[in-house]
Amino acid sequence: MLTTIAQAVINGLLIGGIYALVSIGVTLIFGVVKIVNFAQGEFVMIGMYISYFLAASFGIDPLVSLCISMPALFVIGVLLQHFLLRRVLALGDMPQIFLTFALSLLLVNLALLLFTADYRTVQTPYSETAVHLGALYIPVAKLIAFAVAMVLSGLLWVFLHTTDLGRAMRAAAQNRDVAMLMGINPDRVFCVAVGLALALAGAAGSLLMPFYPAYPLVGQVFVLMAFVAVVLGTLGNVTGALIASLMMGVAESLGIQFVGADSGLIVVFAMLLLTLAFRPNGLFGGWSR
Amino acid sequence: MEPVKKGLISRSGLWVGVLAAVALVLPLLVSSTFAIDIFIRILLFAFIGVAWNLMGGYAKQLSLGHAAYFGLGAYTSTILLIRYGVSPWIGMLAGGVVAMLASLPIGALCFRLRGPYFAIATIATAQVLMLLFLKFRDFAWGAEGTTMPNLGDAPLMMQFDGKAPYYYVVLALLAIGLAITYRIERSWMGYYLVAVGEDEDAAEAIGVDAIRIKRNIYLISAFLTALAGTFYVQYIYFIDPNTAFSFNVSVEAALVSIVGGIGTLWGPVVGTVLLEATSALLQSWLGGGHGGIQLTVYSLILIAVILCRPAGLIGLLTDAYDRVVHAGAARVKEVPLDG
Repeated sequence: MLTTIAQAVINGLLIGGIYALVSIGVTLIFGVVKIVNFAQGEFVMIGMYISYFLAASFGIDPLVSLCISMPALFVIGVLLQHFLLRRVLALGDMPQIFLTFALSLLLVNLALLLFTADYRTVQTPYSETAVHLGALYIPVAKLIAFAVAMVLSGLLWVFLHTTDLGRAMRAAAQNRDVAMLMGINPDRVFCVAVGLALALAGAAGSLLMPFYPAYPLVGQVFVLMAFVAVVLGTLGNVTGALIASLMMGVAESLGIQFVGADSGLIVVFAMLLLTLAFRPNGLFGGWSR
Repeated sequence: MEPVKKGLISRSGLWVGVLAAVALVLPLLVSSTFAIDIFIRILLFAFIGVAWNLMGGYAKQLSLGHAAYFGLGAYTSTILLIRYGVSPWIGMLAGGVVAMLASLPIGALCFRLRGPYFAIATIATAQVLMLLFLKFRDFAWGAEGTTMPNLGDAPLMMQFDGKAPYYYVVLALLAIGLAITYRIERSWMGYYLVAVGEDEDAAEAIGVDAIRIKRNIYLISAFLTALAGTFYVQYIYFIDPNTAFSFNVSVEAALVSIVGGIGTLWGPVVGTVLLEATSALLQSWLGGGHGGIQLTVYSLILIAVILCRPAGLIGLLTDAYDRVVHAGAARVKEVPLDG
């Protein structure tokens, strides 16, 4: 029993690391640019296809192609902010949400058109191997993904707290008008924030590739989780999103283990609705409110 | 809203009459079942859009979970029909009532949230209902779903030979939805709704009970959406949780309104006609086998509309109409409600 619980907790934490990369991206964009990016999952999908094609064509390991998918998505993020999001900043919630929503629809269907609905997988030497800790079983690919995810989250934290640009970003998140009065160039800060958020999504995609298939709709699995995590962790709060993602990974995994294979999501959504009922601003307070 | 000149009222009344007449004779002129099927889809989604628009357009509560009510309506009438032999006409109203009852706790939970929080919470409620219905295997057929019993030509059981009767049923639904919207738009409730949509705090400060207004409009919106759910499963003769609680229904309801123009009487209709007609045309040009191209074009239209005409396309139509009708004269323009 205890082993079962421990195993479920480990499985949950490992996948929670991936959720964290996605939800940190969502919360970063929301915190700084004040837009909820419904297309964040599709950028995970793009990261996966980048790694898939690099592996299929040139035999590049997904962990190496991480170094290509992240910068590529950073550039896409800067372009996204500069050409699309910037133009709806002054409009209300509704056009903003629908713009990113339309973008999600567009990317999914372009992927369907270009890559078909086939599931694509990459086999790596470590795809099937696992570490045994007593009775516990830890798949290596997921362990690596989790470790890299935590390192990237840590680097983001360091960036936000020690560099001028990072501080400018947090300032813009706290109060955009005052930050502008202090001479912060919002366009630049916004572009970098969206770029970083997408780079994290790209990293999530590459890290998933050794143990998760790529297909056009794959992003929706992760974006729903990310939304819940971001609300639990308070929209705009990066540390909150990280902790909430790990919690949700564990909750989902315990739900699957003890309530039934199709019940993981019910547990997660129940958590969301309870939180909204009792702590509508999330569990951790935040930058933005 | 400014008092409108008498002449214009009769003129717009005339246009509605012409439109209604065209809609009524359309199935007599067009014999292709393919075309009638498209008309039915257009009318159905326009109706769902009209129901959504009451909530999302006038009160500006961005719900992305209207599939919850669509699904509850669909399941209520189906369970009543198959388990108890109750006519879907009655089941349709029962489904509406169930949806209204469900909207009370959902509203109580979600109305405390604003903007994106509200949108995410409504997505979650619809998803939870879908997951629950996937689990109700004995009671509601689980993931496999069920087909409707085929009763032949049984108008009393909402089953018909051919597609034209379905067309008239959904046309009537749309007319009811538009009539309700028209009434609300011109009542005190409409003004309160717009006030809440514009600035909730300011509305409360001048004595509008925002929570009550939102709850009331949510009841109406949920009721109408449930009617659409019953109609849809009766029309396609099949129900399962993924159809009934499809996220696409929630999205489509909002999209057609956004493209047409939220908070306007005809916005959802204009939006649906444009989007559905485009996708039907694409389908007939390209045929099957090009998975994705339809929705690709669809989403491009959407992005273009949001970037270029965030108030919706209906503004283009009214502008053009004004230019033609009042060329040179003082122009009476409909002020878009979301400014």
